[in-house]
Amino acid sequence: MGNEDVQKTLEELSRNLQESKARLEEAQRVAHLGHWEWDLETDAIVWSDETYRIFGLSPQERPMDLATVQSLVHPEDREALYGGVDEDLVAGIRPDAEFRIVRPNGEVRTVHALTSRRWSFVPGDAKRDSAGRPYKLFGTVQDITERKRAEEALQLTQAHFREGQRLARMGSWTSDGTKCQWSDELFPIYGLDPRKGVPSTEEFLTIIHPQDRPSMAEAIRLMLEEERGCDVTTRVIRPDGQMRYVRCVGIRIVEQGIFKGFLGTGMDVTEQEILTQELRRERAYLTEAQSLAHLGSWACNLVTQKIFHSSDENARLYGFDPREGAIPFDRFYNTILTEDEAALRPKLENAIRTGADYDVEFRIQRTDGAIRFMRGIGHHNPSQEVGEYLGITIDITERKRAEEGREKLRQLEADLAHMNRVNMMGELAAALAHEIKQPITAAVTNAGACLRFLEMERPDILEAREAASGTIGCGTRAAEIIDRVRALFKKTAPQREPVNINELIREIALLLQNEIRRHSVVVHLGLAENLPEVMADRVQLQQVLMNLMLNAIEAMQGVSAHLEINSQQTDDGQLLIAVSDTGLGLPTEKADQIFDAFFTTKPQGTGMGLAISRSIVESHGGRLWASSNSGRGATFRFTLPYEESLRT
Amino acid sequence: MSTQAGATVFIVDDDADVRLSIQRLLKTVGLRAELFATAQDFLRRNIPDGPSCLVLDVRLPEVGGLEVQHKLAAAGINIPIIFVTAHGDIPMSVKAMKSGAVEFLTKPFRDQDLLDAIQQALKRDQLARRHRSEIAELHERHKSLTAREREVMELMVSGMQTKQIASALGTSEITAAVHRGNVMRKMHASSPAELGSMVERLRLSSNR
Repeated sequence: MGNEDVQKTLEELSRNLQESKARLEEAQRVAHLGHWEWDLETDAIVWSDETYRIFGLSPQERPMDLATVQSLVHPEDREALYGGVDEDLVAGIRPDAEFRIVRPNGEVRTVHALTSRRWSFVPGDAKRDSAGRPYKLFGTVQDITERKRAEEALQLTQAHFREGQRLARMGSWTSDGTKCQWSDELFPIYGLDPRKGVPSTEEFLTIIHPQDRPSMAEAIRLMLEEERGCDVTTRVIRPDGQMRYVRCVGIRIVEQGIFKGFLGTGMDVTEQEILTQELRRERAYLTEAQSLAHLGSWACNLVTQKIFHSSDENARLYGFDPREGAIPFDRFYNTILTEDEAALRPKLENAIRTGADYDVEFRIQRTDGAIRFMRGIGHHNPSQEVGEYLGITIDITERKRAEEGREKLRQLEADLAHMNRVNMMGELAAALAHEIKQPITAAVTNAGACLRFLEMERPDILEAREAASGTIGCGTRAAEIIDRVRALFKKTAPQREPVNINELIREIALLLQNEIRRHSVVVHLGLAENLPEVMADRVQLQQVLMNLMLNAIEAMQGVSAHLEINSQQTDDGQLLIAVSDTGLGLPTEKADQIFDAFFTTKPQGTGMGLAISRSIVESHGGRLWASSNSGRGATFRFTLPYEESLRT
Repeated sequence: MSTQAGATVFIVDDDADVRLSIQRLLKTVGLRAELFATAQDFLRRNIPDGPSCLVLDVRLPEVGGLEVQHKLAAAGINIPIIFVTAHGDIPMSVKAMKSGAVEFLTKPFRDQDLLDAIQQALKRDQLARRHRSEIAELHERHKSLTAREREVMELMVSGMQTKQIASALGTSEITAAVHRGNVMRKMHASSPAELGSMVERLRLSSNR
């Protein structure tokens, strides 16, 4: 081999070496890993470029020695790193160490130093002193700050996770389908000891409440056999006897289409469950209470007609099935009877406009045809938008019916009183007939005897005269009886007082308000102003007016009912009162009989009303008559002379 | 018109005019009247044993006419009653007639109707009296019979011949014939048929 060749070879080797060195440098730079050599004899320390960079220095900027290196190590770690290093070196332990360094700019980094067990790269050059310590050490140092931070962050996260699970009373578990792993937090939830490990399925089922055991067992079966996820809440009887509700959720883990197992949680939901149950119970009570009271609750915006809440009972009150789901406003509203809606609408509109509360009554017709009386109470929610109300609906049909029943009873009592009065009149008439028949009988008999005395073969004039005078006496007595009866009637003769007839008409219209409403009668009062007062029996005239108006209302059943009452003054010093209806009109064939006593066209009538009315009007010096209207119905008119009455 | 001499018409009416006028009417046919204002007054009176009838007002203070009728019947007093009333109705008259009233007249009545009713009542009373006296007579005759004769009479009306009677009583035919003759004589019976009718009437009256 020539010199040239040697030179060449050397150049090549040198180039190779340079390249290897460069590669090493590059590898060290990328891995943040440097190497070092420590000559224990000279205390000289050789660092690779990367080692300098790791320590925050420029590569090879100054030679290193132990003191310099020590000054770069974090003061808190110095003692741990170098304390007893000689002994360790002899024993050949502490091949590596993790410690912090402080760069000249103050930055703290964490490094990991490894000491090679091969003291020299030259075979057989393991230099050791008499104490057996090596003269030279070689090792690496790596900057692991980033990894360390990531690790710490991970540890922190895991700590937080565990703390979170503990706070949430939640634990997690995983299963690969055969083996199950529990997080530490899961054990206390089931009241188990983590040291005893994860229970078997059988062991696990024994702590589930017997009533919930089948559903839990089924959930586990489905997971194991059919790889299905689960979400079951069961009661757990912990070994200490305490009962808890635990919700167990398991979700399938599938990676690239392959089932890997389950990831799940176990959560103590006792508090939520108890709360939920209480809520459910409260709701049931509320529903029951609403149902019992026939009371529904709701909240809606009457302007936008959006319903926010409607209780089940509310739907039921309107004849809807709450299971149908939400019922739109229209369907509720359309059940209201047209005539009631007409009265209701302005009230609601007024309430909405003024933001006032309302309390209304109306009738509805359910889909099954039943008519129900409802009461609606709406409370405006002032903080909310216009038209937003919350309120209740109450079915008041029973109450209404009871009221009607009471009303009927009152009517019956009034009828009864009326019948009694009629009966009393009958009794009076009978008594009068009996009284008067006695002297008439005596008179007739006396007259007969008188004739017989005269017709005898030898007429007995004396006896005949006595019989005749007896007849006279009896006739006189009969007249006296009639006078006595008239006197009796005079005693109870009506008390006359000044009466304002218009006031009286309004009074009676008010008195008959219920009757008028029940028969949906439209009343019109056409009363002339400044009418003179009449001297009259107030109660008797009330009776006449009530009688005529009631007749009119009864005559208008089932037809469009208009009742008109007019009062006016006539030219001949009388008041003329007219009661006009749109009813059936007068019975055409018996029009002249309607004022007769005991004449009636009504099944419950006594046939005395008009007879008495006429009698009353006539006792006041007036007249009462009836005529058919040109259109429908009839008009009853009566007059009351006011000049006449003022004289009385 | 057959007027019964000595007949008495009792008039009970609370109206004096009516009482007096009826009394006057009766006078025209020669009938005597006794007047009472109340039922109690009349019931206190001992009704004489002579032809009589009662004109009774239905409506009377305290004790009414129908009640008087009931009381008289209960006491066994058989006096024909004519009711008069100013207040009659059909149920009331039916009740009165069913209880044996002669007539039910409503006031004011025709004088002739009252007189006709009274005549009818007195005739009925007369018949009843005769019937009662006949019964009384029969009872007297029956009392006069011996025990044996009564036995024989019972067998006679049952249709037995003398021979059968003798055998039934265990006597001779002659003895039976003698008893038989005594019965016929004492009962004033002219034939066995008449005797049968007499026994029948006796039985009816004693059953009553």
